[in-house]
This record gives sequence, structure tokens and C-alpha cells, in this order.
Amino acid sequence: MLMLKLAFRNILRNRRRTILTILSMFGGYVLMSVQLSVTEGSYDQMLEFYTKDTTGHVQITTPGFVERPTLYKSVPVSEDIMSALSEQPDVQAVTARIESSALAYGDTKSFPVEVKGVHPGREADLSYLADKVSEGDYLTGDPDSDGYYEAMIGAQAARQLNLGIGDELVLISQGADGSLANDLYRISAILGQPEDAEARWVVLPLAAAQAFYVMPGEAHRLIVLGRNHHQARTLETQLQNWVDNRWPESDYRATAWQDVAKDFYRTMQADKEGGQVTLYILVFLVCIGVLNTVLMSVMERTGEFGVLKAIGTSPSRLFWLIVLETLVLAFSACVIGVLAAWPINAWFTAVGIEMAEPMEISGIVFSHYKGQLSWYVFAYPAVVILLAAVIIALMPGLRAARIVPVDAMRTL
Amino acid sequence: MNPVIETRQASRHYGEGDTLVKALDEVSLQIQPGEFTAIVGPSGSGKSTLLQLVGGLDIPSEGSIHLSGKAISQMSGRELSDFRRDHIGFIFQAYNLIPVLTAAENCEYIMLLQGIAEKERRERVRAMLERVGLGGKENRRPNQLSGGQQQRVAVARAMVSQPDIILADEPTANLDSQTGADLLDMMHELNRKEGMTFVFSTHDPMIMERATRLVHLRDGRIEQEEHRA
Repeated sequence: MLMLKLAFRNILRNRRRTILTILSMFGGYVLMSVQLSVTEGSYDQMLEFYTKDTTGHVQITTPGFVERPTLYKSVPVSEDIMSALSEQPDVQAVTARIESSALAYGDTKSFPVEVKGVHPGREADLSYLADKVSEGDYLTGDPDSDGYYEAMIGAQAARQLNLGIGDELVLISQGADGSLANDLYRISAILGQPEDAEARWVVLPLAAAQAFYVMPGEAHRLIVLGRNHHQARTLETQLQNWVDNRWPESDYRATAWQDVAKDFYRTMQADKEGGQVTLYILVFLVCIGVLNTVLMSVMERTGEFGVLKAIGTSPSRLFWLIVLETLVLAFSACVIGVLAAWPINAWFTAVGIEMAEPMEISGIVFSHYKGQLSWYVFAYPAVVILLAAVIIALMPGLRAARIVPVDAMRTL
Repeated sequence: MNPVIETRQASRHYGEGDTLVKALDEVSLQIQPGEFTAIVGPSGSGKSTLLQLVGGLDIPSEGSIHLSGKAISQMSGRELSDFRRDHIGFIFQAYNLIPVLTAAENCEYIMLLQGIAEKERRERVRAMLERVGLGGKENRRPNQLSGGQQQRVAVARAMVSQPDIILADEPTANLDSQTGADLLDMMHELNRKEGMTFVFSTHDPMIMERATRLVHLRDGRIEQEEHRA
């Protein structure tokens, strides 16, 4: 306690210098916290969008399908299965998808397309598919009076095939049983714009895709959406247990989005780490300033350290006194930093900064850089600043510890 | 009786070759428990150097220093600081109190290093400050005390941890004669009543008058010794 008191009183000796040092650490903390908040918030927004739009949080597939999708690797699907899955803890939405390819025919032209078989109601609840309709109406899932199922077609495919709403679309492919698959559909909607990811898609109701590819009661992926993408790993374990219990004889796999979209995930991580280099440069610059202050403070007190050592203070205790003093400065900076960064991060999270040019991905518009208000954006800069304080204190601390009392006291 | 301090052919040299300075040259000295010794001599005679060697603040270039039978000249930095903490009390000419600590905290500091329980520390500090005439001034910082009062705190700090010996380097040099005399009387009384061993480095006649033993140094060598009743 007396050592802490000594540390506090020492740093209060030169108040102006102490305030300037705390301010520089405080500035570093706030900048770091806000930048982290915006980075995390933006990535979070993007990942939440990506997982909802593309992969879901966890997928249930046959082994190897995620790495090498093929028409022949399917999992059973039924309303009963999807309802049971929906009832699992933390599961927000469930759907099933069939994914393959086909050759599409319009009036006089053909065009290769990616076919997606989706459950219209469940897909609309889980992903942004319904929001991507740029023209026409989203799938109803039922065949029309003539017995044709509806299909939604990507903008580029529609343009290539010269098709519009209400036109007939013919698909030709191979069924899972090896037969030649072909069928006729009525276009109910155009998806997105020609440059979007879904430009070459043809989306069919699940039942139509099952019939087309001869996959009765089957799909390629069961897509599950949990509370958020951060908890995907926990959900993955939980759903693997569910799968193992439900189909004990099978080897179906629950896979989190990080493994489903491995390359995307790695790229995001690398991008994020690259962004942190700026933060470390910032911390380094702050450290240089603080190191100067702490060194100056140690040099000014050389004689006093000589006395402390003469009366029996061990070198290690002197070293820790300097570390303690620097940590008190850093801790104070972090406390004030949290108070200042909190409202800024809260504002970024709630309102954000408007982008000069709104970004549109697959029909979804991102117009603001958003922040994130989480313990991470406050704790991480605090850990960095406190750790930096310890590193800063090493050199002055060792200097104080190595002081020879008789030489040091000559400076008094 | 075993000496509290023994220097055996202790020398302290600075520089080398033509610039070699022999601050202390083969000094052998024994200080017995309860002595009130003054090391005297002109400036540059080696008084402070001898006190620094005896106190483990410096290492002899040659020879050895033994305190309560232990050779302190062979100890590591850590062992030396522990040794100083547990066995030696220092009183410096410029008081050298820790400016950010109060009188009581300055005294308490060494006991904190010794790991003495807080309650005992507080009791010993209160009693010691009372004894040096600073009762009621426990919470004053050094800059709120006069020179004499600061030196009393330094005496209290040196004594409160109950060391084997107190080394005082010109303790009255910065005090007026009356304050210096009062302080010396107090230390003399502690020596007579409690048998505390004091070694002074000084050229203050008041200390010499009270000393039971005078060690005269000149050019780093013991020139003469006087024992008094």
C-alpha cells in the first residue's frame, strides 16, 4: 500500500507533466478504441450480411460437400426435420437449398446458369433473397394453374436469354439418378442487376428443384441461422450433436461459416490484421513520448533512488516502483479514455458516418460506416496501453534498479 | 567482545595509472558494540569513503569489510540492499528524506521493506517520533519541517528498524549550532541508555566532544586513535 502511495505521490509531483503524459496515452486509447469500433462494426456488418446472404451461420451437409459440392451428395430434408432443427436452442431460422447447374433456354438462345432450389418462405426469413427482386414478384412456391412452377432469374441471364416477367424458361441438366432433367418454368421475378453475384442464377422453389434433379426429400445443404455469426462455432458443436442423435448411422456434418467460406474468412482476417498495423504505429508513437517522460522523471530522481537503495530498497523493488508509476499513468489514461470513447463509439454504433458513395452489394445498400459497442473495443486498447506501459517502464526501471547508491547520492 | 564492524586492510582507489587516487589506503578498524565513534580528519581524508564502505554503499578496491562477522564486501547487490535494510541505519548530512512521504511514512518505509506488520510499524513509528521530539508532526512532509526537524526524522528513520549500527555522515553540518547540539544530545542519550552503536564522519567539535572514540584519518590512512571514558 505504501508503495502504491509512493507511486501515486511521485506521479503527482510534476502535475503538468503527468497531465500531458496521461493526455497522450488517453489520446492513443481513444483513437485506438474508436478505430477498432469502426473497423469491428464495419466488418461485423459485412459478415452478418455475408453469412445471412450466403452461407448461414452453420450448414448441415454430407462430408466433403462443403469442400467439393456435387449433385450426388445430399442430406434428407422435410418440414419435420426443419421444424425440429428450428426448435434447437439459439437457432433463429432454418432453410434447405439445392445447388447445381443447368443450361437455360429462352426464346431462341441458351445460357449456362446456376440453379438454386430454395424453400420460398423459409429462405425469405433467413436470407436477403426476397430483397434482391428488382422486378416482378418473389416466389410463391406453388405451381400455377397450368402446372408450371415459378422461377426467378438473374438479371444477366434474363438479358442474355431475352426473357422477362411471365416468360417461359426451359432448364436442361442431369438428374441425381443419371437421367436427363428438363422442365419448363414461368419467370416471376428478375434478381438484382447484371453485375451482381446472382446475375446468372435461376432460383426455383425447393419442390421444383427436387423434382428437376430427381432428389425427392433431399437437399444439398440445410442452412441454419443462429443468434449471430460470432456464436457459429458453439452452434456448430451443438448442431453436430443434434445431427449425430438424429441420424446415428450417418456421417452428416455441421460446419460453421468460417469453414464453409474458408477463403473469405481468411481474407477478412488478414485484412483486419493489416488494418491493425496502423493502430500499432499509433501506439508506438505514443510510447516514444511517454518513454521520454518516464526516463526524464527517473533521471530527475536519481539521487532519491540512491537514497532509497541506500536504506535498503532492493533493485527489484525500485524497478517495480517505476513500472507501478507508469501503470498508474496508463490506467488513469484508460479510465478517462473509456469515459470519452464510450459516447463516441455509441454514436458510431447508432448513427455512424455516412459514406460519400453508398455501397450496394447484391441489392443491399450500405450507406454508413458503423461502429461496434462491445467490451472488446474498450478492453483491447486498454490491454495494449497497459502492456505498452510495462514495456516503456522496462528501460527506466532497469536504470533505476542499477543505480549505485554512492554515485546516485552525489547528484543530490 | 565481537566487533560490530571490522575493516581489514580496506582500500578504495579511484582512477588508474597516473590518475590513481587512494581515497582510503589499507585501513583496519574495529568498532565495538555501544561505541560512540567519530571519524575525523580534514576534507579529502577519506572519512565519507570509509563510512560508505562500512555501510555497504561502496565496495573496497582491496581488503574486506565485516559487519557482525559477515563479509559485506563479497555480497551481491540484492544481498547488500537486504543487509543495509536489516543491519544499518543511515543519517545523511542533507537528511535525504523521501519528499513525497510524511515524517511517519519515511520512518515506516524501511519496516515495510522488512515485512513488519502494519500495526507494529505504526506503533514503533509513533513511539520513535515521540522520542525524537516530533510527536504531533507525524503527518508533515519534509518540506513542512525545519532542517533540525528533518534531521530528527532521519534519526528516527535510522533507528526505528533497530539496526546493529547507525552511520551518520556529517549529521550536523547543515544545522545551526543549537539544533545540532540538541540532536547530538538526543543521539548521545540513545547511545548511553540503549547501547546503540553510532559511527560519525565529522569535523564538528560538538561531536568530537561527545565521542567515546576518535579515529583520525589523513590521506586515507588512520593517523591516530583516541579512546575516551
